[in-house]
Amino acid sequence: MEPVVVAKNLTKSYTKGLRALDNVSLTVNQGKVLVVMGPSGSGKSTLIRTFNGLETFDKGELNILGIKVDSTHDEKKIQKIRRRVGMVFQQFNLFPHLSILENITLAPVNVQKRRRAEAEEYGMYLLNQMGIDSHAKKYPSQLSGGEQQRVAIARALALKPELLLFDEPTSALDPERINEVLDAMRRLAEQGMTMVVVTHEIGFAKDVSDQVLFMDSGKVIETSPPNIFFSNARHERSRKFLNQLDKH
Amino acid sequence: MTLIIFLFQRLRKTLFSNLSNSIISLIFILIISLVCLNTFRWLIFKANWTVVTSNLPLYAFGSFPPNERWRPATWIIILFLLSIITLFGPGWKWLRKNLLISWVATIPLGLYLLYGGFGLSPIMSRHWGGLTLTILLTACSSLLSLPLGIILALFRQSSLPLIQKLSSFYIDVMRAIPLIAVLFFGQLLIPLFLPVGIEVDRVWRAIFAFTLFVSAYIAEDIRGGLQSIPRTQIEAANSLGLNQFQIIQLILIPQALRIALPALTNQSIGLFQNTSLMAILGLVELLGVGRSILANPEFIGQYIEVYVWLACVYWMVCTIMAVLARHLEQRMTINQANF
Repeated sequence: MEPVVVAKNLTKSYTKGLRALDNVSLTVNQGKVLVVMGPSGSGKSTLIRTFNGLETFDKGELNILGIKVDSTHDEKKIQKIRRRVGMVFQQFNLFPHLSILENITLAPVNVQKRRRAEAEEYGMYLLNQMGIDSHAKKYPSQLSGGEQQRVAIARALALKPELLLFDEPTSALDPERINEVLDAMRRLAEQGMTMVVVTHEIGFAKDVSDQVLFMDSGKVIETSPPNIFFSNARHERSRKFLNQLDKH
Repeated sequence: MTLIIFLFQRLRKTLFSNLSNSIISLIFILIISLVCLNTFRWLIFKANWTVVTSNLPLYAFGSFPPNERWRPATWIIILFLLSIITLFGPGWKWLRKNLLISWVATIPLGLYLLYGGFGLSPIMSRHWGGLTLTILLTACSSLLSLPLGIILALFRQSSLPLIQKLSSFYIDVMRAIPLIAVLFFGQLLIPLFLPVGIEVDRVWRAIFAFTLFVSAYIAEDIRGGLQSIPRTQIEAANSLGLNQFQIIQLILIPQALRIALPALTNQSIGLFQNTSLMAILGLVELLGVGRSILANPEFIGQYIEVYVWLACVYWMVCTIMAVLARHLEQRMTINQANF
């Protein structure tokens, strides 16, 4: 198995003394799904945002798809990584002035320099996969949250990425809209997509993930397979967190 | 019938509910009717509208040679037709897509029709005038100041301190100088600075001065638009691998323009009215034509007629501009991309 993400001792501090990331090391192999859990402010978003260069870090080393980045944040390498890594955000972040299909074809046409017709054809295929091809001509504001998030997934897939990052993809959705997004993500995992997912969805983590990584105050507390993590977590801090989640 | 009774009852309730209200209402109704009566009497019986009717071509074209007047006339008619098509035309997609291009194309077309050359007899810009010149000044200055304003706004947001400071300095200075001073600078000082032999005609000096001035204001409007775009838009674009230039061109500017559109409309209507300042500086645009007609002994003393007429023309053109802008805004919010 080829490792897709290798992080070694990532450390980042926003202000002196307060660490967003504290010696974080992890490995994600090809075709695997890593779920990152933890209380808010534990640094999980910061962690996955370093994977495509949206966040810098102060110390440590990162190897994404064989491209090595360090704290110097080499712009060229970051660009190379971004062309091969897709990201889905909590607030969807679709471009409101572009139609759904234009949102999806934007990067293939402008970054990969593919022909528009070809990009549109593939975009329609992706929208079809996501079950929203009837909305192709609409604008993001005309869609529900769940639909927008599926568009965002299609947009990330349009670059044919080798790694997908999800930053709390269902946290901004109505409860009854969460499943349509989670189902789309499940299908992607079944197709063998390598994914790193920050989420609070225990069901998704149990069914889909290969590893669960639990963070608190910038540190990795434990990394376990989901069956162990959810039934018999090794650390007291993880068990406390899971108890809190269960109460909701 | 019931409607009239209803209105009557309503009036009684709102205007004559008690004694003091009735008195105040009566006084105001009296004043308003007197004003209206006098205005209408003046408009219809007292005013001598020959000063307007006999000079209509002058108001429209200034001293453009009479047998070439069809050229500016064609241009104004095209502009008018384009406005009507934009507002009331069918919503076919190809039509809407080409409308924006047509609007921009009217400016070179207007310049060609006025200047001549390529088959048309050339006409010097000092013969241009009237409404034609007013519209030309507005259109050219708006078209030039928009890109300049966008560049200034982007520079003001730049992370390079030198560029950012220079742009801020320029914008602050331009906003601290009255427009009339900038126009004086354009008309009187630019010829002194230019090397001997190079001459920029007066119309272009005016357009240049207007552009310098208005672009500073436009830059601030667009900066407001840029600042209201959430940072997450840039993050999303970044994560898709778009580079800095593409993000500005594809994500930031289209959104900033849409947000700034009402303010930009304001600027162009203001610009249209401010072109009348050029009358003081010797261009015979719409107001200039009015002044020169008043200087004619035949029409001496007929200020009110001329200025009422000019006010109506300015009002009409401004209304058309405002309606067009509102239409553009609506289309942008419904259909967010097409004109």
